[in-house]
Amino acid sequence: MELFRKRNRSSQTIAEEFVQKVENEARSNLIRVYAPITLLVGMTIFFSIYDSHFFSLKNILNILQQMAVPLILATGLSFVLLIGRIDLSVEGVMGFVGSFMALLILNDRNANDFGFWGVLIPIAIGIFYGLITGILHVKLRIASFIITFATGTIIKGIAILLYDSRAARVQEQWMTDWSMMSFLGIPLITWIAVAFFLVCSIILNYTAFGRAVYAIGDNEAAARASGINVERVTVKAFVISSTAAALAGFVALIRLKFGQASLGDDQMFPCITALVIGGASLSGGRGGTLQTIVGILIYMELLNFLTIIGVDANYKKALQGIIIIVAVALTLSRGRKTIAK
Amino acid sequence: MSSEALFTTHDIGKVYGTNTVLQDINIRVWPGEIVGLIGENGAGKSTLLKIIAGVEEPSMGTMQMNGQNFRAGSMLNANESGIGMVFQEQSLINNLTVAQNIFLGREKQFSKGNFIIWSKMNAAARNVLNAMGLEDISEKAKVRDLSFAMRQMVEIAKVFDIVSAASNNHALILLDEPTTVLSDEEMVVLFDKIRQMKQRGNAIIFISHRLQEVLEITDRIYVFKDGKLTAEVETQHADEAILYEKMVGRETNSEYFVSDRQTVPAQEAVLEVKDLSMFGSFKNVSFNLYKGEVLGLCGVEGSGKEDVCAVLCGDQAKTHGAIKVHQRKVDFKSPSDARDVGIISVPKNRREDGIIDILSLAENISVANYQKNAVYRLISNKNQRENAKHWVRSLGIRCSSVNQRIINLSGGNAQKVIFARVLDSECPILVLDHPTRGVDVGAKGDIYALIRSITEKGGSVLLMGDTLDESLGLSSRILVMKDGMICGEFDCPADNKPEQVDIVRLML
Amino acid sequence: MWKRDGDFSLNELFKRNSFILSAVLIIGVFSVINPKFLSLYSLQNMSLEIAPLLPMACGIGFVLYSGSIDLSIGAVASVACVIAGTYVTETGHWIILYMVLFGVVAGLINGSLIAVLKLPSFIVTLCAQSVWRAMAIIISKGSSNTIPIKQRWIVNWATDKFLDFPVILWISLALVILCLVIERKTELGKSIFAIGANEKAARLAGVHTIKIKILTFVLCSTGAAIGGIMYAYKLKSSVPTIGDNLYMMAISSVALGGTLFSGGSGSVLRTLIGVISVMAISSGMNMAGVNPLWKDVVFGCVLIAAVAINSEKGGRSLIIK
Repeated sequence: MELFRKRNRSSQTIAEEFVQKVENEARSNLIRVYAPITLLVGMTIFFSIYDSHFFSLKNILNILQQMAVPLILATGLSFVLLIGRIDLSVEGVMGFVGSFMALLILNDRNANDFGFWGVLIPIAIGIFYGLITGILHVKLRIASFIITFATGTIIKGIAILLYDSRAARVQEQWMTDWSMMSFLGIPLITWIAVAFFLVCSIILNYTAFGRAVYAIGDNEAAARASGINVERVTVKAFVISSTAAALAGFVALIRLKFGQASLGDDQMFPCITALVIGGASLSGGRGGTLQTIVGILIYMELLNFLTIIGVDANYKKALQGIIIIVAVALTLSRGRKTIAK
Repeated sequence: MSSEALFTTHDIGKVYGTNTVLQDINIRVWPGEIVGLIGENGAGKSTLLKIIAGVEEPSMGTMQMNGQNFRAGSMLNANESGIGMVFQEQSLINNLTVAQNIFLGREKQFSKGNFIIWSKMNAAARNVLNAMGLEDISEKAKVRDLSFAMRQMVEIAKVFDIVSAASNNHALILLDEPTTVLSDEEMVVLFDKIRQMKQRGNAIIFISHRLQEVLEITDRIYVFKDGKLTAEVETQHADEAILYEKMVGRETNSEYFVSDRQTVPAQEAVLEVKDLSMFGSFKNVSFNLYKGEVLGLCGVEGSGKEDVCAVLCGDQAKTHGAIKVHQRKVDFKSPSDARDVGIISVPKNRREDGIIDILSLAENISVANYQKNAVYRLISNKNQRENAKHWVRSLGIRCSSVNQRIINLSGGNAQKVIFARVLDSECPILVLDHPTRGVDVGAKGDIYALIRSITEKGGSVLLMGDTLDESLGLSSRILVMKDGMICGEFDCPADNKPEQVDIVRLML
Repeated sequence: MWKRDGDFSLNELFKRNSFILSAVLIIGVFSVINPKFLSLYSLQNMSLEIAPLLPMACGIGFVLYSGSIDLSIGAVASVACVIAGTYVTETGHWIILYMVLFGVVAGLINGSLIAVLKLPSFIVTLCAQSVWRAMAIIISKGSSNTIPIKQRWIVNWATDKFLDFPVILWISLALVILCLVIERKTELGKSIFAIGANEKAARLAGVHTIKIKILTFVLCSTGAAIGGIMYAYKLKSSVPTIGDNLYMMAISSVALGGTLFSGGSGSVLRTLIGVISVMAISSGMNMAGVNPLWKDVVFGCVLIAAVAINSEKGGRSLIIK
């Protein structure tokens, strides 16, 4: 068999070999596209067999509730990842919005009661912060991971300063109500997350901006040559990411009713893990609505399963790191000449 | 043919630093005409197209489109004036669909509010594809799932659509080697479409290495040589022999290439290559390189010669075959392994792959052999500088000091620094990949003399010349590659160089 | 035809040495605010803070010269601090050797993933950060533990004074000299800069890019581990969260030293000045009575400003991701 193949190979012309090379690439691409969904289905079946509680209504609702914050964040982050950048500031923005909001609405720390405005102002600041981050990245031409790392630290520092390390308990009645509310058995915050996800899906799939995001991620020079304003699209992607972070801060506050800057801690990493498992590429251009939701589901199921079988929270965190490296290693295509910085 | 030219250039020139790549180009294109540009690699054809398409700025000269002065500035502006270019390296976005690619940046026409009506865009794309006769390409397919040939056709369709929309069939379309990835049948389709475009009154400028194609499709042919326009022929009066002659033009000047110092290689093979293959690029390449020899490797771009060199200097992995250095079988995984067995390269793209831009001249020279200047493995910076000064003197590198950043040197001087680096490595086998690309005339002569002294001292050189002249003038022997295979070998003794036409015939 | 050498233009001169100017400025401002800022007592205190940060900053400096980044140094320092602080009473000073070895291993893991598998360094080290941070908490069971007073004598020497300054400062300075030798005198150091400036060219010139990159990360993590050990000896306890804000300080130090984050430039001496500037800001703020919580905000801004000032504006066409 081996011999046959060899002879077969040597009778090919270079042009034919080239065609075959392209076909091979297309095939491995196909595998990459379907692997996450296969993994999701396989995991669901395996976990359900392993532990009958896994597929119970109660557990599913539990997963759905836990899913709200990661889904929102991942949806926003996916835009930034698609253009090949990263946003490390989402945790900071989320912590800031959540904690600042808790201080503006009725709470046990001060006499503020701005009601509706108390919700809106922090979210607006959070969104504006993404605008600043994006502009700094584009104008100063500083790599996104370093600029967002710095801006993330700054806004988290501001959040902590606002607080002076004493958390504020939310006493606003409607917010407490919202945390209890559910529709069709699914908690309200999950509906908020799903709504945000759908809106972003429409933006990504039905607007010129969405196409530009894909184009930049795949081939920035060609996108620029087609008349796409790369800077503008990049800034917009950061704005969407910070919008998601701000919304996540709001939702997390509803869920926890306790405003502090650490609200955002350890939130971004799971999202990046989920996105990468789902098939998003850190170098840009690959990913999207389907990949995001599949990635989040895989991640939530895995987390839930680890909890069911009783794995310590710290081990879970350590495990995340390993999962993401494996996932990135599997999705990146590299040659001898590839340069990784 | 109408009496008014669609597009003209006046004395267009392009200079990079001190290096002139294009000079005094005057061409004229009439509506409804197909014009071919031919010439060797580096003759300036692609540069001219890029200038017309607005990718590059001309250093001098003016252009007119439809009788009006025209200065592109950017590709978008060129498109608006009815000029579109299909690139050699494809510029489609792989993760978008065919329809999305065709209308990238022009989505507005299908939008309602801010949202794109995909059905409308897809229908329009379908029309564009059908008009090109591309019924078998789905407008909804992702580009990365298409074959290279299909991608090429889509790109052409896209450019046709952009410019014809802007110019009402008075468009100028630039095709830079559109046929390299196409099969014969696909080529027939493409030519058919090109002729249709022409009949509607559009003009096309066509570059190809395959002369038969040029003869088949064009009405008129411009011949380029060393950045100059050397001939203009009506296609009906031309055949391949005439074109070959016009392309090679200049007689090989033995003085220029210091031919009197050409060495007669020894019998001792320093490098033996047997059945070397790289999947999808070249196969079954076998040759020997002898001590003191300059072996020229000729072929058009895409003939696989670049990858042969990349494999030999460890930059790429071979899929098959054996390499022996000094009768010892070697297998390397990186350029550093290759250097350790005695092979080092002067890369083609000096700016990207050659100079270590922000480091000093001295560092740039010693990077390939740090230990040479070391005392007990601790590098002496003083020795390093002295060593660099030695090279600066002996190669005549013009610089203010050896601490100067290499990025501030001119092209020729920077290239000499790269030569100093590879000589400093004391490797007996040098792979010179276009060693005089982007180098001014004076420095070129210095480099030729340098190559002579390398072989006089017993070094061996595998050369891919920037022009055929150069390969022929410098080499003791020439291998010709075509479509990934070696298809000919010529002995080139100093007093009896083969005819360029014979080599070109094998290459094309 | 001589080409004017850009190295000697005034503008360039200012840019290359702005880091010294900024250090002088910072120290000047704080000495005006508080005259005691430059007193021996204050300097001794500051040197205790500088000592552990120095090896970390020098280590990550190498990674930054090579054009990559290491976000895991804080977590590596935490693990080293926790283990050293917990077990020094049992193993004695052998723990130093063990923890240095731990640093080497952590660096080997990072480096191999980045150089061999060609994964982006920020994501690999972000993952490593999460792994080591979790490890630190698991080992320490989530809380700081002080070394019992009876056994303090084992570690007290570290903060004893030698020529008016604590012993660990002298150790740190010795390490700085070692780093300086590596940077200026070894193939490793020279290759790191070549890789940072143009990895493709360095590789084609025969630099062992894979080996060098791995070693770069080994240097970095080892520096971080030594920093962690110093914290354990200095604080005489194991603190699992000690590293959380250290990487910000270390990266800011290198940035303030005028290192290009795109790679290929910088030096250990500049980093030394950077560390002094950062610590001057930090203790200056303390002495001026500023809420310590401001530090993150201030260092974030310092980092952005330093990177923005130092980044080369040339090559507009270059795509920055």
